[in-house]
Amino acid sequence: MSTPTAVSPDEGVSVPRAGSVSRLRLSMFMTLVRREFWEHRSLWMTPLAVAGLLLICALPTHGAFQINVDDGVQLLDPQHKAILFALAQWGLSVPHYLVMIIVLNFYLLDCLYAERKDRSILFWKSLPVSDGATVASKLFVGLIVVPVGTFAIALITNLLFTAIWNLRAIFGHSPDLVLWDTVALLKVETLMLLGLIVSILWYAPLVASLLLASAWARRNVLLWVTLVPLVAVIVEKIAFGTRYVSGLIAYRTFGIWESLHVEAAVLGSMTRVGQSEIVSLPRLLEHINIGPAFTNIDLWLGLIVTGLFAFAAARLRRYRDDS
Amino acid sequence: MTQVIEARGLKKSYRSTHALEDVSFTVEPGRIVGLIGPNGAGKTTVLKAILGLTRFEGELRVFGLDPRSQRDDLMHDVCFIADVAVLPRWLRVSQALDFVAGVHPRFDRSRAEDFLRKTDIRMKSRVRELSKGMVTQLHLALILAIDARLLVLDEPTLGLDLLYRRQFYDTLLNDYFDKQRTILVTTHQVEEIENLFTDVLFINRGRVVLESTVEGLAGRFVQLIVKPEQAARARELRPFHEREVFGRVAMIFEGRAASELASLGEIRTPSIADLFVAKMQGAPA
Repeated sequence: MSTPTAVSPDEGVSVPRAGSVSRLRLSMFMTLVRREFWEHRSLWMTPLAVAGLLLICALPTHGAFQINVDDGVQLLDPQHKAILFALAQWGLSVPHYLVMIIVLNFYLLDCLYAERKDRSILFWKSLPVSDGATVASKLFVGLIVVPVGTFAIALITNLLFTAIWNLRAIFGHSPDLVLWDTVALLKVETLMLLGLIVSILWYAPLVASLLLASAWARRNVLLWVTLVPLVAVIVEKIAFGTRYVSGLIAYRTFGIWESLHVEAAVLGSMTRVGQSEIVSLPRLLEHINIGPAFTNIDLWLGLIVTGLFAFAAARLRRYRDDS
Repeated sequence: MTQVIEARGLKKSYRSTHALEDVSFTVEPGRIVGLIGPNGAGKTTVLKAILGLTRFEGELRVFGLDPRSQRDDLMHDVCFIADVAVLPRWLRVSQALDFVAGVHPRFDRSRAEDFLRKTDIRMKSRVRELSKGMVTQLHLALILAIDARLLVLDEPTLGLDLLYRRQFYDTLLNDYFDKQRTILVTTHQVEEIENLFTDVLFINRGRVVLESTVEGLAGRFVQLIVKPEQAARARELRPFHEREVFGRVAMIFEGRAASELASLGEIRTPSIADLFVAKMQGAPA
């Protein structure tokens, strides 16, 4: 890693030029991000495993993955085939995101705890990396790198899956169910990307709170993050007879989707394909409007809370195990 | 800014116990300082204070910076090995090099690689696959390739066999140390490395009990070995420590000229280990 630096010969101290300071910072930050993927290999191995499993389902196999389709569906018109295509794009992405949520939860709970548990924290702290940069790199991985990476892997999986499926259809090995439709693909992927951006912004305080728990807990992080809210809910119910805590948890989990009326939009987009009712994504796209999410003040207030949590996690990391 | 470390009146308590009572000392550049004291004396607390790893009261400057508020800047000039087993077990050797190269502007990767080539450590190995001695070698390879001005070592060779210990300090002295650098070492194995130090700092019960250069010790302390019949006369000169060795009595005097004692018995310069024992046992609580 050679970064141009001006070296003063008498002291042997390298004095980076103004322009290269930000480049140094960037390369340092990228190193911190890479480090996370070295330590937490599930972050990249799991999505690849999910992609692999999905693709195996598309490959010419007999028996286990044979799909039974009734004759009615074979004779679908092009519009319905496009609907199925769009639905397949969405449906193939769902496993990726479900697995991502699980992997991310474990990652976030572990990432500031493991280094204290295995006592490697003093090694990391012997290098000129601030607590702020360390926490920022972990937040960046959990909030941006993994979700965006999952989106990319899901997209590639979808394309490969569709390619394999279409090849099989050409040779008559699988039902000619879906029709390639570039516009539908772009629309679905755009919708999912927008949904992803809203999710990242909305769930940011949740992500940061898990990081904070990871920096705070002296042991048993998982127990803390489940027990504390649970006890808070029960105590509140018994002591005051109110439900603010459970209301807050529910709101920060589903609130944004309720405010966008996602459920109503889905129900309003049902369409008949063959003999069953399914969601028509082209119609869903007309019904759903992500826009109001970005004018929701709670979305932006949540980002301030995210910053506060991250700051607190960095402060905790400074002296946590020094009792 | 001439001093590497300037500490004045460091205080630190953990709940009811006082880890540091009132610790003051200075460390000059180009020295190898042995920070020596029994278990629980406060050595590690002093080191943690210097490295900005703990809160404390008092005044402390390292390269003119306060480790409490300016730790991030300080760590460009300071390096430390806290304990042998701190490298994360999942880390690969090549990743360790990549990481330090990525975050430390003064890391010379080729230097670390040259050092590792002389060992049995392979680039693809994970830390968990290495023996304890090899982990220390790897850590040392990383540290030696960093152009830092202060190196702090807290029991760096604990749990290693003699061969690794010897090699560790030889490498440190031959490949690393020069007049620009300062090394601060705590260890229990004082006898083994006492001729490495240029300065010693004895600490006991949270206080500094001796601060001296090694040359200064010879003029200040004298060990006198006398036959038992001479012991009473020697005691009149008030040794601060004595013990029996093979039927004779070894006494240590502070601030007495060797010529004053020579008529009583055999005169020696006490070793740092002797002085350490004397200071710890002799010092009234």
